[in-house]
Amino acid sequence: MSVRAQRLLGLAVFLTPALLWLLLLIVLPHVDLLLLSIRPKGGAGAVSPANYTRFFAEPIYWNTFARTAAYSILATFLTLLIAFPVAYYIAKVARGRAKGIMFLLCLLPFWVSELVRVYGWMILLRESGILSGLLVWTGLLPRPVEMLYNDLAILIGLVYTSMLFMVVPLVTVLDSLDDSLIEAAYDLGGTAPSILREIVIPHAMPGIAAGSIVVFMLTLGNYLTPALLGGKESLWFTEQIYNQFIIRFNWEQGSAFGFLLLILSSAIVWVGLRLTGQTLASAVQTR
Amino acid sequence: MIPSIPQAAYARRLYATYVGAFFLYLFAPLAVVAVLGFNDSLFPALPWEGFTLDWFLSPGPRRVGLLHDQGLLRGMVTSAQVALWVAGLSVAVGTCNAFLFEQEEFPLKQALYALALTPLVIPGVILGISILLFSSTVAGAIEHWIGVEVEALRPGLPLVVLGQFSFITTLATLIISARLRKFDRSLEEAALNLGASRAVAIWTVTLRFLRPALLGAAAVAFLMSFENFNTTLFLVGSDATLPITMFISVRDGSTPVINAVSLLLMVGSAGIGLIGIFSGFEGKRP
Amino acid sequence: MTGPIDLEVRDVARSFGGFRAVQGVSFEIPKGSFFSILGPSGCGKTTLLRMIAGFLEPDAGDILIGGRSMLGVPPNRRPVNLIFQHLALFPMMSVAENVAYGLRRRGVGRAEIRERVEGMLTRIGLPGTGEKRIDQLSGGQKQRIAIARCLVLEPTALLLDEPLGALDLKLREQMKVELKLLQEQIGTTFVYITHDQSEALVMSDQVAVMNEGRFEQVDTPQGLYYRPQTAFVAGFVGESNRWQGAVAAAAGEEVRVRTREGMDLVARMADGLTAGHPVEVFVRPEGITLARAEAELGALPNRLAGTVETVLFDGAKSRVMVREARTGGEITAALPQSGRCADLAPGQTVHLGWEAGGGVCFRRAE
Ligand SMILES: Nc1ncnc2c1ncn2[C@@H]1O[C@H](COP(=O)(O)OP(=O)(O)OP(=O)(O)O)[C@@H](O)[C@H]1O
Ligand SMILES: [Mg+2]
Repeated sequence: MSVRAQRLLGLAVFLTPALLWLLLLIVLPHVDLLLLSIRPKGGAGAVSPANYTRFFAEPIYWNTFARTAAYSILATFLTLLIAFPVAYYIAKVARGRAKGIMFLLCLLPFWVSELVRVYGWMILLRESGILSGLLVWTGLLPRPVEMLYNDLAILIGLVYTSMLFMVVPLVTVLDSLDDSLIEAAYDLGGTAPSILREIVIPHAMPGIAAGSIVVFMLTLGNYLTPALLGGKESLWFTEQIYNQFIIRFNWEQGSAFGFLLLILSSAIVWVGLRLTGQTLASAVQTR
Repeated sequence: MIPSIPQAAYARRLYATYVGAFFLYLFAPLAVVAVLGFNDSLFPALPWEGFTLDWFLSPGPRRVGLLHDQGLLRGMVTSAQVALWVAGLSVAVGTCNAFLFEQEEFPLKQALYALALTPLVIPGVILGISILLFSSTVAGAIEHWIGVEVEALRPGLPLVVLGQFSFITTLATLIISARLRKFDRSLEEAALNLGASRAVAIWTVTLRFLRPALLGAAAVAFLMSFENFNTTLFLVGSDATLPITMFISVRDGSTPVINAVSLLLMVGSAGIGLIGIFSGFEGKRP
Repeated sequence: MTGPIDLEVRDVARSFGGFRAVQGVSFEIPKGSFFSILGPSGCGKTTLLRMIAGFLEPDAGDILIGGRSMLGVPPNRRPVNLIFQHLALFPMMSVAENVAYGLRRRGVGRAEIRERVEGMLTRIGLPGTGEKRIDQLSGGQKQRIAIARCLVLEPTALLLDEPLGALDLKLREQMKVELKLLQEQIGTTFVYITHDQSEALVMSDQVAVMNEGRFEQVDTPQGLYYRPQTAFVAGFVGESNRWQGAVAAAAGEEVRVRTREGMDLVARMADGLTAGHPVEVFVRPEGITLARAEAELGALPNRLAGTVETVLFDGAKSRVMVREARTGGEITAALPQSGRCADLAPGQTVHLGWEAGGGVCFRRAE
C-alpha cells in the first residue's frame, strides 16, 4: 500500500464515525425538525407557516417564550454574580490544600442527578418543608407558608443547578491570572474595585462568556426544574413543547416551538460570543 | 484581593463568611435529602420522628423500602444499562474524533470541528425531539419501502442511548483531545521507526498514553447519561430510566424512599466522579 | 555621593514558618543613587524587596522612605514602585493605558495624562508607541514600558526585581547600559536586585552582597572587587583561585600562608590572624603576571613555576590553567591582553608571579 493510500485509510477510519454521528444524530434530525415545523398538522406535503403564525397569534405561547428567555437571562446573571466571588476566592485567595478541596467541593453536588438536587429544594421550600419550619420555629413566621411553586423557587433551582457550569470556567480563567498583575496594579495606586474592573474582569472575560453561554443554554432548555419547582403553572417554554409532543400529539406545532427555542438559544449564544470576542471552541474548551 | 495585599480584617472575614454561606447553599439540599432518608415518617419532611432504615430495607406493605421497590430497582438497572452503552459508544467515537481533529488534516476541518461542538449548545429538549422526529421519519420510510417495522427506531432504550450519545460524545471528544494534544508525536514516530504499523503504534503507544483520559471520559459519560432527564424524556418508551421514574414519584408526592435512592446516587456518583477527577482531571480542565 | 537619605532599612528580619529568609539587614540609600542587592538564588533578595514595597510585613525592624516609617502602610500608599521579575504589564490594556494606569488612579485629568504619558514614552525612547498592544512589543521595549509605567508616578525610589532575567544575553548586555544611562538621566533612586554580578558591578553606585538572608558587605563595585571583606564576597564577586591552608607567619597587613598543597604564598589579610590559624586564600587570575622566564617577574613576592595544562581562549577573558611544578596544585591565570603569551601551548613551562596585595586571606571556619 502506498504511503498516500495508507494516510487516506487512516483518515477514513477516523472520519467515518464523526460523519455518521454528526449527520445522523445532529444535522438530519434538525433538518427534519425544520421541515416538520413548516407542515400543517395532518396536511402532508404542503408548506405553510401556520405553526409559526399560531405561535404569534396565541399570547400564551409567545408570552411563555418571552418569559422563559427573560428568566433565563436573569438566572444566568444571578449565577454569575453568586459564582464570581466564590471562584475568585478559590483561585486567588485560598492557598495550597484548601484550594483543591474547595474546588472539589464545588464539583461534588453536580455529579448527583439534577433530580436529586431539585428534590432537595422541594424538601427545603415546601409548606411542610425545612425552611418554613425553621422560620416558624424562630418566630419569624406565625404559621408555615408555601415557598414552592412560584417564580422565585424556579429561579433558585435554576441558579443552583447551573452553578457548576459557571464556577469551573471562572476558576480556570482566574487561576491563570498572574498574582503579580494584581500586585503591580496595587503598587501603582490601584484600589480593590478599580483592579477588579480594569484587571480581573477583563482577564476573566473568556471564562465569563463560556460560563454564561452554557448556563443560559441549559436554563433555557431545562424542563425538570421549572416543572418540579414551578408546579403546574410554571409557564416554561419547554413545557409547551412537551405538551405539544406528548400530550396533544401535535408534532408539527411542537417542532415549530422547538425550532423557535433553538433559534433563540443559538442567537443568544452567538451574541454572547460576539460581545466577548470568543469563538465557540474557546468557550466550550474552558470547561 | 490576594494574600500579599493587606486588607481590613473585617473585610476578610466578611468575604470568608460569604464563601462559607455559598457552601452551605450548595450542600443544604443534598444534606436534607440524605438525612430525611432515615426519618421514621411517611413523608420526606420534618418533624424528625426518629431513626429508621425502613426506607432502605422494609419489604412493605405500608412502607416499601428501596430494596423492595420494583419500579426504582428496575429504573436503576435500566439507567445503568443505558449509561454503560453511552459511555462505551461515546468514548469510542470520542477517541476517533480526538485523532481526527488533533492529528489529521483535511478540507473543512474547522467547520466540522465547530459542528462537533454544537451539541453542547443545543438545549437537551431540542436534541430529544429532533431525534424522536427523525427516527420516526426513518422508521416510517423503511416501513413504507421495505415493509419492515424497525422496533429500535420507536421510543425505547436504543433511542435513549442514541439521544444521550449525541451530545455526550462531544464531551468525551473534548476530554480525550485535551490529553492527546499533550502527546509527543515523536513517540508514535519512534514506534513506526521501530517497525510498527500505524494501527499498532496507536494501539501500543498512543492509546496507552490516553488511558487516564479514556477512563475519565468514560466516568463523565456514565454520570451524564445516568442523570440525564431532558433528552431522555422524549425518547423513553415503556422502560423508564431512574430519573424518569423518580420524576414521576416526586411530582406526584413521594415517600422517603426517594431520599433513600438519592442517598445511594450521591454515594455512587461521588465515587465515579472521583475516578473521573483522578484519571481525567487534566482532560476536563485543559 | 552623600545627600539626603531616600530609603533606610533598620534591622529588618522576616521568617517563613521557622525559615529565616531575611535577618538583621540594615542599610541606607542616598537620594539619586543606584543601589544593587547582589546574591545567589534563594538568599532572600525578593523577600527584602517585597518588604520595602509593602507586600510583606517584616517580623522585626523598620523601613523608612523619605524619613517616614512605612510599617503598616499598604503598597498603594508607599512612594516607591516595583518592577516585577516578569514585568507584570497589563495585557488587557494598550501601552499608553499601562503607563497611564497610576495617573488615572490618582485622578489626574485626561489631557494632562495624555501629555505626561507621551512625554514619558519619549523619554524612554519609545515615542508614538502608545496605541500598541503589549504583545506587539519586543522584550527590551516591554522592559522600558514597565519602567515608564512606574516613573511617570515620580516615585521616591524604584525597586527592580531582576528585571533583565527574562531577556537573552545580548539584549541583557544592552539593557544594562541603557538602564544605567536612564537612571543617571532621570535621577530617581534605583534599588536593583540581581544574582548577576556583572549587572551589579556595571550599573551600581553601591552594591550590597547578600548571603543566606544577611548582608555580607555594602560597598562600591570597586571596593567589592579590590577589597572584599568576607570570604563569601571574595569568592562570589569576580573570579578567584582559591586555596586552603594555614598561617605560617603574620606581620602587619601581610601574612605568609602555607597551602594544603604545600605552596608558600604571601597575601594581604582581612582580619587579625596569627600563626597557625586555618585560612582561605583568594587570588584573582587577572592579578597574576605570566612570564616565559623567571627573570621577567622582577621582584614579585609570590613566584611559582609550572606547565601549561590547557589554554581557554575566550577573547578578552582568556585563561591559562597551569599545574605547579613542585606541588601539583592548579592555578588559573589571565592571558595578558598584549598578546605576549598568545602562542602558549599545553606542556610548555611558564612562570607566575603576583604582588602580596594580589591575594587576600580570610579565616576559615573548621
Ligand atoms: N511565601 C513564602 N513562604 C515560604 N518560604 C518562602 C516564601 N517566600 C520565600 N521563601 C523562601 O525564602 C527564601 C528567600 O526567597 P527569595 O524569593 O527572597 O529569594 P531570592 O533571593 O529572591 O531568590 P531568586 O534569586 O531565586 O529570586 C527562599 O529559600 C524561599 O524558599
Ligand atoms: Mg527573587
